[in-house]
Amino acid sequence: MKEKAQVSERFREFKAELTSRPSIVLGMGLRGFLRLLSLKNKWILALVALIWLWTLGFYVLLSTGDYPCENLEFWDSSDFKRCQPLVYYNDLGLGGVRLFLVTLAAISSSGLIANDMTDKSLHLYLSRPISRLDYLIARFIPVFLLLMCVTALPNLIVYVNQWGEAGLEFDWIKNHKWLLLDILILGSFYSASYSIIGLTFSTAINRESWAAGAFFLFVYGSAIIIEIFYLIMLESGVGDDRILLLSVIHLLDIIGFYIFGTQPFFTAFGLEGIDIADIEVFGVFILIIGSCGLFVNWMISQMEANK
Amino acid sequence: MIEARNVIKKYGAVTALDDFTVDIPEGKIGILGPNGAGKSTFVKIALGLIRTTSGSITVLGEDLDRNTVDIRRKIGYMPEHDCIPNSMTGVEFLIEMGLVTGMSLQSATQRTHEILGHLMMGEEKYRKIEEYSGGMRQKIKLAQGLIHGPEVIFLDEPTSGLDPKARQEMLETINGLTEVSGTNVLLSTHILQDVETVCDQVIIINNGKLQMQENVKKLMQRQTDVIQVRIGGSTEDFVKQLKKSGITATSGGRGLHVPYVNDKTFEQIVDSAVKSNCQLYEMERATITMDNIYLEVVD
Repeated sequence: MKEKAQVSERFREFKAELTSRPSIVLGMGLRGFLRLLSLKNKWILALVALIWLWTLGFYVLLSTGDYPCENLEFWDSSDFKRCQPLVYYNDLGLGGVRLFLVTLAAISSSGLIANDMTDKSLHLYLSRPISRLDYLIARFIPVFLLLMCVTALPNLIVYVNQWGEAGLEFDWIKNHKWLLLDILILGSFYSASYSIIGLTFSTAINRESWAAGAFFLFVYGSAIIIEIFYLIMLESGVGDDRILLLSVIHLLDIIGFYIFGTQPFFTAFGLEGIDIADIEVFGVFILIIGSCGLFVNWMISQMEANK
Repeated sequence: MIEARNVIKKYGAVTALDDFTVDIPEGKIGILGPNGAGKSTFVKIALGLIRTTSGSITVLGEDLDRNTVDIRRKIGYMPEHDCIPNSMTGVEFLIEMGLVTGMSLQSATQRTHEILGHLMMGEEKYRKIEEYSGGMRQKIKLAQGLIHGPEVIFLDEPTSGLDPKARQEMLETINGLTEVSGTNVLLSTHILQDVETVCDQVIIINNGKLQMQENVKKLMQRQTDVIQVRIGGSTEDFVKQLKKSGITATSGGRGLHVPYVNDKTFEQIVDSAVKSNCQLYEMERATITMDNIYLEVVD
């Protein structure tokens, strides 16, 4: 009886020690990331494994010396080590990533907000001491971290491996510090961009599988249509490189090549070099990502106000 | 607990709250009103989920214009609609809600089991929520609002969609759990019985305006001992005549309400009607419940 009374007293006097908002958001994000990597998400794990194997295979192939550096006009050497700081990492990353990153982003991001909207648990999250922006960041973190695992992480491992081949000399790191930064920026750029676009589809179409399908079709569909249209225009002599900015994949690739300081090169149809002003490229990018952010924010604010 | 000053909230051309001013003290307070009266809007504004068009609101001493997010550390919220993820178990869901509020894992886990213990949930707390009955889902929804030990919990139509038995159970649970945790309650509902069962005070809202704020017990006492009178002729003269006999009549329903003291009150009413040349059509001791007050105020 006395014990019961003590329990009751403790329950009554309970005052929770609550952490700060950033800790709550980070915690939500990390728990979301671990949930994405749980065994329940077999497709996600399979895709991550596939991208890693692909990158590994690519790396093994490159190390044979058959890397097509000599095919690219803007390099004057087929020496593997010399072309490595330029496109090697970009190709290595994008090789596997180009094929499967969009699929992975579509599958992993589609349920994050859509499920909260469908079961309406979004209302409960937003009644907690976090703002709408905090909630969005918390839902962004899991998919961002997952995509970083397949964009930046394999390249970082290759980087460390090459450092090992160079005898683990500190000078090698000093000489390649910008490459390290580029790897991280490129990975973050692709991961953040696809995460934001994925979350936009997850919000707009609040059914997980439909959101994933729409995201996939939008990104790949627009890429194929735009590239074919671009080629036709080019053949008829009225081509304008700016058309490529209408395709998310092309836009991100153009910026990706900027990050590595190389000339854009599109492998699908062998296009080399494009002529678009930096301000146009970054303007379109900011417009797309900004619109996605504003749209998601607006949709969730509508959910807040309505039941 | 909550002070609202001249709050106006508009959704386009629709005014949900119209110059709404209220002082809500601590305790168990019911907000009563028909659908669309502005109850949920007020709760959402008090929770910082939506902003007012104009006016100011203070919750637990904090100005909501300055602090819409951190104030929620002190507030629990139970929404009206079903909003629990089916894929989680009861325990997982409550722990997640505790973590999202900022509790440590250990504290959230301990509190979860304590609350579920008070809710008399045994092994079923480890079952998926999709397997829960309507009443159990409501209990879990209530528990998530109390997980972090808030100073006040906002309950939005907590008995909505429940059958009479489950409703009674839910009201008892609300009473029990808020009593044992010492939490203030702001209950928004259109069901009078909920307010009678749970609340100390009632606030009646209609068309976005405050219509009445009264102590529930006093209100019920006052209203049970009344004689409903319907007369023809000058009501003014009749009321004056009653006043001479020491009786204060109030208008209500279809006629006048005269407080019942004893059976002699009937004689005094007849005398007053005769003296004021009024026809006495109807005189009946009424068993008035809160329904009558509510309908009177709302009409």
